[in-house]
Amino acid sequence: MSEGAFPPPFWAEDPDGAAGEYVLGTLTPSERAAFARALEQDPALRAAVMAWERRLAPLAATAPAVAPGPQVWEAIEARIATPPVAEAADLRVRRLERGLRRWRFAAGGAAALAAGLALWIVAAPRPATVGTPQYLAVVDRGGSLPALIVRVDLASGVVQVRSLTAETPPDRSLELWYINEGAAPRSLGLVTEATETIPVPADLRDGVARATFAVTVEPKGGAPGGKATGPVVYSGRLIRD
Amino acid sequence: MSPQNEQDRSGGGGSVPDGGAPADAELARLIGAVAAGDRAALRALYDAAAPKLLGIILRILQDRSAAEDALQEVFVRIWQRAGTYDPQAGPPLVWLGAIARHKAIDRLRQDKAARLTQAEEGWIERLADASDGETDLARRDALAHCLDTVDAAQRDCLVLAYCEGWSREELAARYDRPVNTIKTWLRRGLLSLRGCLEAA
Repeated sequence: MSEGAFPPPFWAEDPDGAAGEYVLGTLTPSERAAFARALEQDPALRAAVMAWERRLAPLAATAPAVAPGPQVWEAIEARIATPPVAEAADLRVRRLERGLRRWRFAAGGAAALAAGLALWIVAAPRPATVGTPQYLAVVDRGGSLPALIVRVDLASGVVQVRSLTAETPPDRSLELWYINEGAAPRSLGLVTEATETIPVPADLRDGVARATFAVTVEPKGGAPGGKATGPVVYSGRLIRD
Repeated sequence: MSPQNEQDRSGGGGSVPDGGAPADAELARLIGAVAAGDRAALRALYDAAAPKLLGIILRILQDRSAAEDALQEVFVRIWQRAGTYDPQAGPPLVWLGAIARHKAIDRLRQDKAARLTQAEEGWIERLADASDGETDLARRDALAHCLDTVDAAQRDCLVLAYCEGWSREELAARYDRPVNTIKTWLRRGLLSLRGCLEAA
């Protein structure tokens, strides 16, 4: 087909002006919708939009801050508690799985890491009961190299924590937490260099497929009173092994 | 006395206004944790950014409960889309602010409710107000300076659209001009603004 078969998009003549008007919000509704769709596919348009967002952002910062009512967070919390859109949850799991594969490749280049992982995967005993699921969490810093592998084996009733690259700040301890859906974080103990084996807590067993794991920086020896106090340095969710 | 001191301190360095950097690093880290499904990180991000984002939304959607609804949508979207945030592309507050503003504008256009036409003048003046100085000072000063070089009517259209969500049609009614003239003003205004900012 000739190029003339499709009319050029409305922004073809002045893409940067269209990007600017997209940011201003002054495109017509149909232009705005078409432009937003194109943004998903077109890195150059995205860059043009981001440049306008950056140029104009100081003007957004002139809006006086207003504290939202408490019901706003409650509503948000309710909506993220159960994965509302199946697609969104799938995406997250896929991202974790992809991360794991990528890391297996990357580990090939790093002898020490590879040896550690191989040992971990091969030497871990298979569950006696066939069909009892095992769960694996690759706890990372949002897409970078994994720091921990948390394995929950319901057959033998243990959680195994393997530290890979987690760095502990001096005079602090890293503490591992699991967060059941809608519940407060519960400690699984401190993260150390060695592989830790911990009995599976009863409440983790029930909600294991949807639990989140996180690592926080705490005072030496762990969080006082069993409540996380420090910043979350790593986090991840379980996938079925 | 003390506001003066603050102004001196924040403006004193001049060339490298890096005051917002640690906050940016923290926000970027939180967004990374949210991308990994960390709800506590979303809460921390909410505590840090929600008031500012609600302020941005409220300028566009003047109805408080509509604005809080939009804020809720914004954080659900952040939860779902945190993985797409690229720290190289821009500071976290720019990304968060963009999500909030676009959500507010979408909602405003959807509701079709007539604008209350209470244009709040003075957003440009607030750019120069150092007590708001949590943003990058050099960028802020450059924007204030460059907006000043844009033709007055074009500049007002840009600011009313960006800050309060005015559409081309609403601006056309306000200035009693055809919609196409407003579009031309907006494009010309953007062009001169970009030219000035890039020359700076």
